[in-house]
Amino acid sequence: MAANDRLVQEYIVKGWDFSRAGEASCEIKNTLKQIGISAEVIRRVAIAAYEAEMNVVMYARQGIMRCEMDPQQIIITVEDEGPGIADIELAMQEGYSTATPEMREMGFGAGMGLPNIKRNADLLDISSTVGRGTKVTMIFRLS
Amino acid sequence: MEKSRHSIRFIEEKCIGCVTCLRACPTKAIRVVNDKARFDEERCIDCGECFRLCPHNAIVSETTSYADLKKFECTIALPSPVLYSQFGYDVLPNQILLALKKIGFDYVFDEAWDCELTTDALQVYLDNCKGPFPQISITCPVVVRLITMLYPSLVKHLVKLEIPRESAAKKFRQKAASSRGIPPEKIGVIHITPCPAKMISINHPVGLERSNLDGAIAISDIYGPLLGALKDLEEDVILQLSSGIGIAWAISGGEIMGIRQENCLAVSGVQDVIKTLNDVEAGRLNDIVFLECLICPDGCIGGSLTVQNRHQARRKVRRLIKMFGEHTRVSHEMVIRLFREGYFNLQKEILPNPLPPLDPEPAKAIQKIRQRDEILKTLPGKNCSACGAPDCRTLAEDIVMGKASIEDCVFLTLRKLSGNS
Repeated sequence: MAANDRLVQEYIVKGWDFSRAGEASCEIKNTLKQIGISAEVIRRVAIAAYEAEMNVVMYARQGIMRCEMDPQQIIITVEDEGPGIADIELAMQEGYSTATPEMREMGFGAGMGLPNIKRNADLLDISSTVGRGTKVTMIFRLS
Repeated sequence: MEKSRHSIRFIEEKCIGCVTCLRACPTKAIRVVNDKARFDEERCIDCGECFRLCPHNAIVSETTSYADLKKFECTIALPSPVLYSQFGYDVLPNQILLALKKIGFDYVFDEAWDCELTTDALQVYLDNCKGPFPQISITCPVVVRLITMLYPSLVKHLVKLEIPRESAAKKFRQKAASSRGIPPEKIGVIHITPCPAKMISINHPVGLERSNLDGAIAISDIYGPLLGALKDLEEDVILQLSSGIGIAWAISGGEIMGIRQENCLAVSGVQDVIKTLNDVEAGRLNDIVFLECLICPDGCIGGSLTVQNRHQARRKVRRLIKMFGEHTRVSHEMVIRLFREGYFNLQKEILPNPLPPLDPEPAKAIQKIRQRDEILKTLPGKNCSACGAPDCRTLAEDIVMGKASIEDCVFLTLRKLSGNS
């Protein structure tokens, strides 16, 4: 029973694929709407998931976005093969960004990505190995 | 009889059960069952895509007929600015307004002027708005329905200002009633409309208890009589009050043309609107103050009840904007006064009306999604629509919801038959 009311969906996010960027988080959002999650939680998940997805698109070669949900919580993990984050604490600061001028030209790189995730998720965990990749885990509680 | 919640109707005798409409539907509201298309009232947003594309004229719009005008003692026409774009390059708005009068309306008012008034009101509103941003226009009734149904978290972004056709209808009904000395309800206030969706905002308004309009006549229905009336116009009074600012409301970008703020955005066409609303929901457009969303391509000139090629119509609107200028003719002091008087206030809060989840219990809804995904794996993924659902995923969902069966899949059934033979 416990396994039955748990849903796991996985999406592959390609680095530098700006034309499809945002699709995975949009899919997750649509699934939440079908489950009947409240508009307020959906808004928070939509923003946080989108930011995490964009981080993969901008910085990593590829990533896997995994969404696990049950009636109690939504766990989204985004694991990428990318450059990693050397100083996570610094990366969490608003306005800090390592975006290239190119990315900034596209309207990204305001340094709000991780802070925005933190603001919207109930729990955020980031682990990273420089040169290998980053794993972002965010939890949204439903009850 | 209860007024239809929708502005379109399917005619069974004409429908041959092809899948043109269901593939075009952005909310997947249509299914073909027993060779007849039908739509789910709950999911339909009245965008008119099906109506536009049906090759068999089996979908009709439910607008007010010309004959319905007889039941009123006095009639007022409020033409959408789109009407000005539908005639020859040299036909001017004032002539069109005079022609409307000639074909039998007692009063004709230039709705574009009320649009202009609303542009200025919108400026005041945005100057004082504390968010959330972007604020989203409520002019297009389809966009409003789309947001309340599928983007409930964005309902609080909707602009809280009455739309021009409603505020104008209210004002002119009162004026006509007092000058004629007849009860307001004996007056028919009729919008001349480029799209069927205006009927839903009349029959089932949001932000209002009851619409101030009594009906909407399709531009395509009134076009012939107007063409005739334009030939020998005798009367010569000035009915057009608007400048280019009001007329611009006919096209995408028109609402923001007279707005000072630079960070406004105009989007049109159903797919682009959906994409943009997804962006808003992902927090991607927080720097935009005002978002104009119109469901028809290029804005209201792309409405399904227009007669003119919409590119030609846009050219005409641009010409009229040039001709009548981009300086508003509305007095700002008057707008401020009207604001204080509550002229632009919505009477009722617009509330979310989200589509029901797959199951009222989240745990069961999750199970249903799992089942759907399992079924989806067994389907061929060709999205051929031959089963009567728009795509394999929707068929899988319908199966889980008990509305369809796996045998509906033509490919699986064929495979089974050839395996058995």
